[in-house]
Parts: sequence; C-alpha cells; structure tokens
Amino acid sequence: MRASIACLTLGLFAASAVWADPEATSAPYREYAPMENYRPHVSGDLSLSGTYAYWKDPKNLDWRMAGNPEENWKLNWKFMDPPFNPAIHGGHFALERGEALYKSLNARGRFARCLGADKGTLKGLRARYPMYHRTLKKVAGLEEVIEHCAAQEGRVLQNGSYDNSAVSLYVASQSNGMPIRIDVSKGEMHAAWERGRRLFHMRAGRFNLACASCHTHQIGLRLRGTVVTTPYGDAAHYPVYRTSYQLQSLHLRFIECNLDTRTQPLLPGSRAYTDLEVFLTALSNGYPVTVPSERD
Amino acid sequence: MRFLSLSIGARALLIAGALLVAGATRADLPADAAINAAAPLQTMQPKVIVNSGRLEWVPYYRDLTAWPTLSHQDRRSTPRPRKVKLDAPVRGDPARGRDLAMRPDKGYCIACHQLPGEEWPGSVGLSLERYKSYGHADELVFQQIFDARAFNPHSVMPPYGTFGILTVEEIADLVAYLQSLE
Ligand code: HEC
Ligand code: HEC
Repeated sequence: MRASIACLTLGLFAASAVWADPEATSAPYREYAPMENYRPHVSGDLSLSGTYAYWKDPKNLDWRMAGNPEENWKLNWKFMDPPFNPAIHGGHFALERGEALYKSLNARGRFARCLGADKGTLKGLRARYPMYHRTLKKVAGLEEVIEHCAAQEGRVLQNGSYDNSAVSLYVASQSNGMPIRIDVSKGEMHAAWERGRRLFHMRAGRFNLACASCHTHQIGLRLRGTVVTTPYGDAAHYPVYRTSYQLQSLHLRFIECNLDTRTQPLLPGSRAYTDLEVFLTALSNGYPVTVPSERD
Repeated sequence: MRFLSLSIGARALLIAGALLVAGATRADLPADAAINAAAPLQTMQPKVIVNSGRLEWVPYYRDLTAWPTLSHQDRRSTPRPRKVKLDAPVRGDPARGRDLAMRPDKGYCIACHQLPGEEWPGSVGLSLERYKSYGHADELVFQQIFDARAFNPHSVMPPYGTFGILTVEEIADLVAYLQSLE
C-alpha cells in the first residue's frame, strides 16, 4: 500500500517561495478572522448570537432549556453547569481561604488601598476591573494587581496561583450581583479594548485559528461534543471553580483555549492576555458579578 | 508566482519548509511565552496547587513553540496559503484515512465534520458522510485538506499540509477515504 503512493508527485504554487520569503524581513504576515462589530455591553449580543434574551436575567433562566441539548447553549450558562447546585462546591472553600488571606494581607489597611478600594471598602471594586493602575502605570486585571499588592506586603501570590485566585474570588464576592462597569471609551482602556478586539480576531498557532474563529463565527455549532456559546457575558464569573483546575482565572482559561488549538500559550498577566481580558470584560458590561461559580 | 515541483520523496523538505516559514528558532520566541527554554519540549502548562501562592508549570506533551502566538512581541509570520498541483492520481489507503480522520493527534476531522459510524461529530463543517456523491475531483479535495485558504481565505479548517500537521501521504489517505464514502 505504502509503495503505491510513491508515484504521486506534487507541484506547489506559493504566493512567495517558501525558502526565500521576500516579505519575511518586513512586517510579519498575520491573518485575521473577519472583524465583527461589538458593543461594550452584554446587550451587544443581540446583533451577534441573539441569545441575550434568554440569559439577560440570571435569576430567571428557563430550566427546561437546560435539559435540552439543542437549547442549552442559548442559556449561555457560564456561571453554573447543569444541573446547577448552588450548595457546596470547591469554589466555596476557595472563597473561605480567600477571605482569611485577604484579612491577613490587609491587616494594616494598605492592601485594600493598593487594590484601589474606595475608603477601604471592596464593594463594587471587582465590577471596575480591569482598570488603569496608578503605581503599575498600566491597565491591569485584578489578579495582576493582587500579585503586585501582595508583594508590597512581602507575600508571594503569583498570578494564576490558587491563593491569588482565592483572594480574587473573595474580592469579587463583595460585588456579587453588581453589574460589571468598565469604561473603554477613552484613554488607555480604549487602547487596550482596541488591541484586545484585534487579538481576538488574529489567527495563531498550528491550526491557524483565532478566538473569533470559534467564539464569534461558530456560536451554536458543535466542536465534537461541545457547543460554542457567545463571547458576551464571559467574564463576570471568574475565577471559576473547575474540578480539573481547582480554581481557574480568566488568563488560565485563555491558556487552555490556546493549548486546545495548538497555540503556544503566554504567561498570565502578559500584555496580550490583559488586552483580551479588557475586551471580554467590556462584553460583560451590565452583567452581574456571580461568584463562586462552577463549571465542568 | 513561482512553481515548485516536489516528488513525494521530498516530504521531509516540505515539512522543513513549513517550519521555516513559521520561524522555528528559540530566539524568535516572544519573552512572554510560557516556555522552559532548557527543555526539549519547551511548551509549559500551568498547574494550580491547592492552598499555594505559587503556580506550578509542567511540560506540555506537545511542543508548540514553532508557530506564531498572540504576543504583541511575536514578529514571526503565519505561513502563507499554498496551492497544490497533483501530477499523478491519488493512490491513498482509505482505511488509514479513516483512522487519521478520527485521531485527535492527526486530522481529527470528526471535531467539525460528520463521518459515518461515529457519534458526537462536530457541526462546524458540512457532513462528509456521503462525500463521494459530490463528485469532486481528487485534486480539489487534496487542496481543501492541504490548505483550504486557497478556496476560502477565511476558512476555519486547519491548513494541514502547509502547516505540516499531516504529510502528503496522509492527505492522500484522507482523500482516498472521503472518495470511498458512498
Ligand atoms: C477551536 C475552538 C476555540 C478557539 C479557537 C478558542 N476557544 Fe475558547 N472555548 C471553546 C469552547 C468549545 C469553549 C467551551 C464552550 C463555551 O463556553 O462556549 C470555550 C470556552 C472559553 C471561555 C470560557 C467561557 C466560560 O465562561 O466558561 C473563554 C473565556 C474562552 N473560551 C476564551 C477564548 C479566547 C480568548 C480564545 C483565543 C485565545 C479562545 N477562547 C479560542 C473553543 C475555542
Ligand atoms: C476546525 C474545523 C474543521 C476541521 C478540524 C476540519 N474541517 Fe473540513 N471544513 C471545515 C469548514 C468550515 C468547511 C467549509 C469550507 C471552508 O470554509 O473551507 C470544510 C470543508 C471541507 C471539505 C470540502 C467540502 C466540499 O466539498 O465543499 C472537505 C473535503 C473537508 N472539509 C475535509 C476535512 C478533512 C478530511 C478534515 C480532517 C483532516 C477536516 N475537513 C477537518 C471545517 C473543518
């Protein structure tokens, strides 16, 4: 069988010869999935997947849809996996640990201020992240800022570690039910949103896929057994408890999607991941912070 | 446009070519890539350790460093679309083709396409269940798998040939398999 193939010969046409790509020395050649218009608010989904109507109000989800494999994805059930059990799961243990860690870190009240808490209260803080951080002098996600502020207290809480995500979870819990509200209309935040939007459409890796290849252009379609849901409303429930990951921050989820599509992942807190976080969080504007949440 | 004629024996050359375009050197990797530069399998995967402030990194079972990342510092190019011309009829092995279509480490066509005798197919691409009945020429099918961007620049189907995911023999096996589906 093998031997018979030897008679097949190939002619290859390439836009430019492989061995001496004349453009390799100038700007790199990269490809983009078709750009869509996004609105920095959950309601923008109405002109993308149109499923917003079903998940607009997390308290009034239609449980019958959850039981129907054809309809389940429309629920955009990001903050709980069916059958949802709001009782005890690993996220609750992480929350307790996060509270204890936070209290010891903030013994002198400095940690809260470093995180950007108004008058020492955490209420509403998570809903404003990512934000421009004054001492870091850049746009940063909550986990990056936690790492930085913990270091100020002489503690190591690496971005993406369990304890970092546990503190993030505790901080988020103080904003539970409050809608995400980040402003990407101007300045550094706008620049990050624009970079993130572009990155979301840039193809990468060995399969040459962009985030948008799946998350914008395959919504409601199946990849093997998994149905892709809208990118709107993706960010308000992170870090999330998952049995396989214990606690997964949003940047670790990016790493997972990168690995699944054979793309070399980046470090948590990298500029590109933070830009993607700004973009996805803006698509969650108006959606309530919901922690601790659980997914498969 | 330059024309390159390769015999199948030059397979190694073809794959080396694909790597060359992507720029497979360590020096090109952006500084924020999650790698262990000292290991042969450089790509690293995070491991969350319960009740720890440190994130552990373990080697990933695949090395992914040769292809462009999302990093702003990544200056490497994506391999450009390539057109293929067959000089001889495809003589692949349909049984091997079927195996390649199912295997997650090979074609994994089932992730997106419906194929006979397999549960939980994807629905991103169209059903290939009775592919032969479309009556497409082998060369067209070969091109679609080798590099679908030749027909549709926005295709989400991975460019299996150009990116060296599958060898030309393996693509020939897949063509033979699809053309056997009645
Ligand atoms: C080959 C398809 C594919 C690509 C490419 C892809 N993803 Fe995913 N992603 C999925 C699937 C499937 C899921 C799980 C189903 C869902 O939540 O929609 C998922 C889930 C996610 C989630 C979790 C949603 C939640 O709340 O649990 C995030 C966030 C995410 N992806 C971001 C990204 C980003 C950012 C990129 C690009 C770096 C990316 N994905 C690339 C297929 C993909
Ligand atoms: C990530 C999704 C994906 C994967 C994986 C995939 N395909 Fe496709 N395929 C598509 C899409 C989408 C199309 C529609 C045409 C296009 O966009 O290129 C397509 C089209 C095709 C066609 C052309 C159908 C026609 O006659 O119009 C063939 C043949 C095909 N795929 C075979 C394969 C084989 C064989 C494999 C595995 C080696 C595979 N595909 C893997 C998404 C995929």
